[in-house]
Amino acid sequence: MTPDERRRWYLSLWRYAVPALASMALLVLMLAPLPISLPAMPHLALMGVLVWAMLQPGLMPPWLAFCIGMLADLLFGQPLGVNATLFAVATGVMRMTGRVFGRHGSLFDWLLVTGVLLGFALLTGPLMALAGRPTTALPLLWQWLTSVMAWPLVVRLCAAIQRKLAASAPRWRHG
Amino acid sequence: MDWTPAPRRPTAIRREQNLALVSAVVSGGVIAAGLILLLVARVNPETASGVRAVATDIVAPLWSVVRAPIDGAGKVAGDFGDYFGAVSRADQLEAELDKANARLRAARNGQRELQQLKRLMAVREPTRTVVATTRIAAATSGSVARTAMLAVGSGAGITRDMPVIGTDGLVGRTLEVGRQSARVLLLTDPLSRVPVIVERTGQAGLAVGRNLPTLLLTDRIGPELALVAGDRIVTSGDGGVYPPGVPVGVVVDPRADGPVIRLATSPLGGGFATVESAWLPIPDTQPQGPVFDAPVPVEARTRGAPPPRLRTSEPPAN
Repeated sequence: MTPDERRRWYLSLWRYAVPALASMALLVLMLAPLPISLPAMPHLALMGVLVWAMLQPGLMPPWLAFCIGMLADLLFGQPLGVNATLFAVATGVMRMTGRVFGRHGSLFDWLLVTGVLLGFALLTGPLMALAGRPTTALPLLWQWLTSVMAWPLVVRLCAAIQRKLAASAPRWRHG
Repeated sequence: MDWTPAPRRPTAIRREQNLALVSAVVSGGVIAAGLILLLVARVNPETASGVRAVATDIVAPLWSVVRAPIDGAGKVAGDFGDYFGAVSRADQLEAELDKANARLRAARNGQRELQQLKRLMAVREPTRTVVATTRIAAATSGSVARTAMLAVGSGAGITRDMPVIGTDGLVGRTLEVGRQSARVLLLTDPLSRVPVIVERTGQAGLAVGRNLPTLLLTDRIGPELALVAGDRIVTSGDGGVYPPGVPVGVVVDPRADGPVIRLATSPLGGGFATVESAWLPIPDTQPQGPVFDAPVPVEARTRGAPPPRLRTSEPPAN
């Protein structure tokens, strides 16, 4: 590796943070003040984490998902750990299913994520109760519905990011 | 001897398997969702009303956008009609003005009497002071916690437990204050409890959020009068955070076991919100030590526990 190649490699290290950065951007996007009174904003952050756990499992390990979930807890004003735990669990589930089912179609992904999101919505209540702030899970099903509907958009966005990254990858190894 | 049909491509087989799995999952999910809905309806009969209210809340803004051109055309037509009916309308308004003036004179008398009585009773009225006027900067529209964020913080003089009031009614109270931001606990949050009063009947109660577009009126005390749909709910001023008389909402479903209130203002709707100082000064002194006259164990005293505060003892004058 020549010094020039080494420099280019160091400069391209930020690419490893793209999945996390994209998920955090989606998290911030979730904070848009929609003039509606029910929790209907799709859980873009969780979906971003799931997409990257599917596209780049190596770049979205459960611990990173845990950190992003912690950030979500902070931003949403929830007890610390609710989103963090569930993000990590969801990432683990995605990894396991990827190992079990191997390659599959996008429709299957959608259904899988539907299940994962549903599990997320259903587990939030008990975890909140565990944290001493019991809530009802029913309103979260609205978020689940919107999240399921928004899934193709998030996938398309993240896939476009990934394609753009791949197209502009530095060819320091063989180029 | 090759009598079996040629094996199809593995991708086709896999697709078929996936489709079979998908259909099984979908049908199972639909059945499970139906069962869940039934169970929810059995356990919680008011679910349907909540969903109805939610549906109208979703559809109404949509329709306001769709109807905007139609409303504009109707407004133009109404303007034309106003020209033709101007004279009769002016007569009608003059008659109404006479009546209103008569009522105003009577009201002035009443107001003067009220002032005199208040002076007689030495009533001290706290005043509402606006600390900051701002917009809702961000909100958690998809979370179990219903909070909003303001882009002003302790730098602008905001502290905890300050009421946030929109143009049409109460929005919430400040929960956490940063340097340049403050988190607002919205009325719809499950943690939110607002002491309210029913304007018509005078009953006091609590407006409880539940992560839905509507609030629940609980702990109603006062005369045993049934509520009707349309009863206005305003803050009572109890507790000292929210000033009295701020609209909270109207009763839309006067159920005996928990009337449902629709908010007077959409908490995250456009427009400005004012942050006021708390209605009454919030005591910042923490109670020191136990407040009952139980003896403090010697072991605890040797470790620095404060002496017990006797219930009968007067607070120290300082």
